[in-house]
Amino acid sequence: MLNGFDLQVVINALPYLFMTGMAFTLTLTAFATLAGIAFGTLLAMMRLSRHRALAYMAAGYVNLLRSLPLVLVIFWFYFLVPYLAQWAMGASRPVRVDPFWSSVITFTLFEACYFCEIIRAGIQSLPKGQLLASQALGMHGGQSMLYVVLPQALRNMLPLMLTQTIILFQDTSLVYVLSITDFLGATAKVAQRDGRLLEMYIFAALVYFVISLLASHAARRLQRRVAIIR
Amino acid sequence: MITLRDVCKAYGQFQVLSHCSTHVAKGEVVVVCGPSGSGKSTLIKTVNGLEPVNAGEIIIDGVSVTARGTNLSTLRARVGMVFQHFELFPHLSIIQNLMLAQVKVLKRTRPQAHKKGMALLDRVGLVAQAHKFPGQLSGGQQQRVAIARALAMDPVALLFDEPTSALDPEMINEVLDVMIELAREGMTMMVVTHEMGFARKVANRVIFMDRGEIVEDAEKNAFFDQPRSERAQQFLSKILVH
Repeated sequence: MLNGFDLQVVINALPYLFMTGMAFTLTLTAFATLAGIAFGTLLAMMRLSRHRALAYMAAGYVNLLRSLPLVLVIFWFYFLVPYLAQWAMGASRPVRVDPFWSSVITFTLFEACYFCEIIRAGIQSLPKGQLLASQALGMHGGQSMLYVVLPQALRNMLPLMLTQTIILFQDTSLVYVLSITDFLGATAKVAQRDGRLLEMYIFAALVYFVISLLASHAARRLQRRVAIIR
Repeated sequence: MITLRDVCKAYGQFQVLSHCSTHVAKGEVVVVCGPSGSGKSTLIKTVNGLEPVNAGEIIIDGVSVTARGTNLSTLRARVGMVFQHFELFPHLSIIQNLMLAQVKVLKRTRPQAHKKGMALLDRVGLVAQAHKFPGQLSGGQQQRVAIARALAMDPVALLFDEPTSALDPEMINEVLDVMIELAREGMTMMVVTHEMGFARKVANRVIFMDRGEIVEDAEKNAFFDQPRSERAQQFLSKILVH
């Protein structure tokens, strides 16, 4: 297997790898990031809320999901949700869940916990005087949050958010356990079909490496552009 | 204008304010001084409800701060506050700092808010800095912007919480000059400060606090010339040595 590195195998597979595999991976990453940040912000607001019940609910959820391996959550969601949906909707047979949306929901629920903690830390790291100053100007809670706290907190937490997104991009490869054709899944299929494990897996590693490297480089540039002048 | 009656506040067992009562009339300038930890900063933050109190009553311009059901946001919009560490919003330019609450809280149009903001910047001598960010200004300039930001709301009174304590010595006067001018124009002001020169020049009354109590509340000259309490005498002798 190690003699005769066959680049042609990789080249032949390129359209399939990118149009099918990488398209899935990137769409999943984008959906899960956006929905994860939205849900994560909600969780963070709950955790910081004055209402104890809300804070405990959010904390319980975050701590539970952060204590479970991602693969387990993927399995759990994919295999159990059809039965839950059946029970909830009173259907006669398990409800089929589309693998893409199943993945989007799983990753959203899971990543929201990490985004929640990033956002919470970003908000808490802001000097308390900023909140007092906005209140002293007559802003109510929502206005202070929207115009004073979040714009600063989001800038401060941007590096961590982008790092987390890059991790998410890599983590999406775990959907291959559901035989979904993401980028790694597509690579694995070609590798098995053509018996070219070495070429295909080296190529897959290279692609993940290059994309992650470029993304973190872009993240640094973006961060410099939005940084607060001090 | 501002009335405090029997205001008490405690953190657990520690009594921060005990039975503080005073009154600031319209157009009056009252300086609050005292050793650190005496509760003067806490006292001034209770006036616009930034610090909740355990007991007592605070009334500003006929509106109770301490009554349940008072809309604190509406009330705070009418009382300006200037902080020790300026607390300008670092992500907004200077002019945006002056416009934000005018637009969002007072619902002025952006052109109106901009005009008002520029006029006030002119007044504190900082028009040229309008489009810079707070981080690009010196401490003294930032504090002058903070005063302009408070004035943009057309406040009925201004509260100052140690406005010059975080400044380098050479910048203190530029801030005090703005405050002195405001006082001369008849602005009602309550000022926590160690600047006794400022107190001598423009204060009507001086309140001396120690250990959460208002120990002395006297006319300026009476306070400086013949403080009644021993604690005030000691404080003055320490602070006026130089």
